[in-house]
Amino acid sequence: MADDFQWRLRGTCHKFGDNVPHLDGVVPEWLVNGRYFDPKDIIPELFEMIRPGFHKEAKDGDIIVTGKNFGMGPKMNGYIGMHALGMGLLCESMPFLAYRAALGCGLRVLDGCQDITTMVEQGDEIEADFATGEFINHSKKTDHLFQPIPESLREMVALGGSQGWLKQWWEDQN
Amino acid sequence: MGMTAVEKILARASGKDTVKPGDIIYPKPDFILVHDGLVSPSKEQLDNLGITRVHDPDKLIFVTDHEVIQLSERSIERIQKNREAAKAWGVKRFYDAGQGGHGHLFPMERGIVTPGTFYFDNDRHCTSVGGIGAIGFRVGAEIITVLATGTVWTKVPSTLRVSLKGTLPKGVYARDIGFYLASGLKDGGFLQAEMDYRVLEFAGDLEQFSLSERVALTNSPTEVRAYAVFVPPSEEIIAYAEERAEHPFEPVYSDKDAEFDGDIEINISGLEPQIAVTGSPANSVNLSEVAGTPIQHAFIGSCGSGMWDDLVTAAKLLEGKHLAPGVRMFVVPGTEDSLKRLTAEGLMGILLDAGVFVLPAGCGLCSSNPLGPLQDGEASISTASANERGRFRGSRDADMYLGSPATVAASAINGKITDPRDLL
Repeated sequence: MADDFQWRLRGTCHKFGDNVPHLDGVVPEWLVNGRYFDPKDIIPELFEMIRPGFHKEAKDGDIIVTGKNFGMGPKMNGYIGMHALGMGLLCESMPFLAYRAALGCGLRVLDGCQDITTMVEQGDEIEADFATGEFINHSKKTDHLFQPIPESLREMVALGGSQGWLKQWWEDQN
Repeated sequence: MGMTAVEKILARASGKDTVKPGDIIYPKPDFILVHDGLVSPSKEQLDNLGITRVHDPDKLIFVTDHEVIQLSERSIERIQKNREAAKAWGVKRFYDAGQGGHGHLFPMERGIVTPGTFYFDNDRHCTSVGGIGAIGFRVGAEIITVLATGTVWTKVPSTLRVSLKGTLPKGVYARDIGFYLASGLKDGGFLQAEMDYRVLEFAGDLEQFSLSERVALTNSPTEVRAYAVFVPPSEEIIAYAEERAEHPFEPVYSDKDAEFDGDIEINISGLEPQIAVTGSPANSVNLSEVAGTPIQHAFIGSCGSGMWDDLVTAAKLLEGKHLAPGVRMFVVPGTEDSLKRLTAEGLMGILLDAGVFVLPAGCGLCSSNPLGPLQDGEASISTASANERGRFRGSRDADMYLGSPATVAASAINGKITDPRDLL
């Protein structure tokens, strides 16, 4: 595993509510169906339909916090964009195939963060450790412990997702 | 504590005595099935990573079902690249266009999929094999990891049990149950069940269902996010599988003390034929609510209704009749074997005399090939797996109704949505 991988992120909270779909929520439908996977194409469109100008505010280390049922659909385009921006994701819940797609892109994501939307406000300074589940809201001076990324999947995340993991696997084989 | 059937199948595949929901495992599939849309893109991705071989070519099955007829430059190029990929990787079981048919169906007919089989697939409708008591898990684009390494991380899903009680009335079919069930299982549906990444296991009075009906049962729950559907195999199903199995197999059943993540009971004795109105198979209503709605387009086929018995049901209704004026109808046998059987058993003549187009075996219109698109203002009734606007590569201003094969055939004869019981 990449030993220097940054499991802990500290930055601005970008808060969203429940039921934000991947298609026409996280990213526009044309970007998914047009099979755009280059972060250069994705980043300007990230959350643009529901929060115009998001990509101008987003910066390395920032954390997206969402309510229930985030990112409906098995597609990965939006997570590629979040990952390229160096962001993390904390959700009250997301469909399993969406969670799988996010991890497969190497995104640091915690699913099942119960009631987290009640613990943060938009713009709070927050911190999360994705390998321990530790969460701190520095603006509110509160903390909480969530379930971390399962240990058996951390190597894949640290290597940049399933493609990075495969590349490493192949090198190890030969 | 015992295990559900799917937990047992996964435990066997991952070399463990037991597994439980939430466990992360690395199951070794009996085989890996890739459909035509993802063969050459997978090859390209693995080539880009410098990965030059697959884990075990003898475990790979490549099928050509989504684009049996290549209607664009892109698809002509793709199928050629698929052939090259199969050759480069040494994949012997490459089913080219015109060979095999629908990848979710012909492996059951050919004895490749048997009760208890576990495999990985890139396409979500691999749930169809639950009809024979097998399990396919859809991994989408992560199929490349499976191709390279022979497995991929898998979370053991929990299982919801749905017991069907009673006997289905004449003229009402398993596909009707599927639509009804989907409307209950969808988010906010009347059964108030959360289906995300869950297995749906059927129980109850299942002896009445043939293999095609069991396959039909699996289809619409898939559209409301069931990750797998399992129908415990009856003696009739086991006998069917034994006749053609290419390997020994052991049927699997849930233990009596297995833990289910919910139990639902549905009485099917009073069920009416269902119609799923435009938008989703879960938009199910009693047929009587939309009876008489004019249709101009009909299609029978897809992974939900492309088995032999589905074709027989349609042919019986169409025998000696003709499509209503202004109606065009497409029948797509699921498999090459069924296509041959249509001719051998005289059903082809019935369909052609009725004015039906019979297209090559595979997904047919349902894979959004422009084989039979709709125009603005038209209405289609079909057995497709889904019915969002614009499906079949047609107008988004066309209505897309779904029904059982009998309902579709009856409606095509009358030119309007028709209760098949009126013609039986």
